[in-house]
Amino acid sequence: MPPEAPATRRFFREAIARALREEMRRDPSLLLLGQDIGAFGGPYRDFEGLLAEFGPARVRDTPVAEAAMVGLGVGAAAAGARTLVAITYMDFLMPALDPLVNYAAKLRFKTAGQLAAPVVVKTTAGAKGQGVAHSQCLEAWLMNVPGLAVVAPSSPGDAYGLLKTALRAPGPVVFVDHKRLFPMAGPVPDAEAAIPFGLAAIRRAGRDVTLATHGWMTHPTLAAAASLAEAGISAEVVELRSLAPLDIETLAASAARTGALVAVEEGQLPCGVGAEIAFRVRECVPALAVARVGARPVPVSSNPVLEAASLPDAPRIAAAARRLLRPSAGETA
Amino acid sequence: MIRQLRVPGPIADVEEVRVLQWHAAEGERVEADALVVELETHKAVVEVRAGRAAWLRRRLCAEGEWQVLGAPLALLSDDAAETLPEDAATAAEWPVAFEVI
Repeated sequence: MPPEAPATRRFFREAIARALREEMRRDPSLLLLGQDIGAFGGPYRDFEGLLAEFGPARVRDTPVAEAAMVGLGVGAAAAGARTLVAITYMDFLMPALDPLVNYAAKLRFKTAGQLAAPVVVKTTAGAKGQGVAHSQCLEAWLMNVPGLAVVAPSSPGDAYGLLKTALRAPGPVVFVDHKRLFPMAGPVPDAEAAIPFGLAAIRRAGRDVTLATHGWMTHPTLAAAASLAEAGISAEVVELRSLAPLDIETLAASAARTGALVAVEEGQLPCGVGAEIAFRVRECVPALAVARVGARPVPVSSNPVLEAASLPDAPRIAAAARRLLRPSAGETA
Repeated sequence: MIRQLRVPGPIADVEEVRVLQWHAAEGERVEADALVVELETHKAVVEVRAGRAAWLRRRLCAEGEWQVLGAPLALLSDDAAETLPEDAATAAEWPVAFEVI
């Protein structure tokens, strides 16, 4: 959206609910499936008002049975509906990977385009005091699947625009939000607007180092860029928004200008988002200095001190950038 | 004495609120314990009640407007006709009770 587009400040949940409401009105075949999305209005009130407007046939509360939920959503989509399945925490996507990966993502390929599964799995990632199995960021696993689109907004405006595109996409999409985004508010365009997949956004312009990130981590990364600026280092922050497809062009153009790239993610580093973008950007900018920042190789703890210690934060991101630019500085992140 | 109503806190996870509904009009006397304003957070409603009686003189945020925790929402006075200051920040804090529901 152009910055001058009229916008109104909204809670993150309201941006989600608005995208769902508009697309439910536009497409009578769209069904919503999820735990507590009906009378309760969604775990984060992000489905509020939808049951009242569209009724229980289109806004369906499900049992706690993620494999069945996604199986049903994928099957209904393959049979001609469009579906959104809400998996409250991303950790619980695991039992549902079979219908998502083996059926939905492959359907167009194995039927030579005769069938498609326009299903959106909306799920909430990230650590916020809920321990080992309610905190994970697994988006890198999903980037590994041909035929699956993966998007991860960091603001109400992008959540609205990306969810609109997801609900019009021809094939399966995983829409990844984050527990720490729900307390936020931000501008959402007044006019109906979709944000295309595959477009990164430069959130802060800089000359010395490119910080690439997505989702909630955009906020600690911007804080890191602000602290680097106080130390005389000009950091450019590129928010991916879309992980599959990935906007390597924007990243590579930024990295070519700065000569250094720090890839930041909340998830684990091995085979992670940062590993992928660092390799692919380096294919375009061979002399590039690269570093990654991600979770330490432990599960997210229920202990808040250990949770914070295991995750990237602004000081670790800034330290990684300083070390990359001045290897002799000897700081540890 | 002129007093300011501020967004009360702390409230877990909340940095800013949206004014949902005023329950007192400008020029109206608010008795102790009366519901003055309801504020909306990302997941709840905050009921703000008068800690002591006062006259509500000027609302600084309309319904639907946003304000951060600790920032002023309204000016009140102990007597109905006291002159309001230009700068709300100079006013003493008006005591309130609040409940997140």
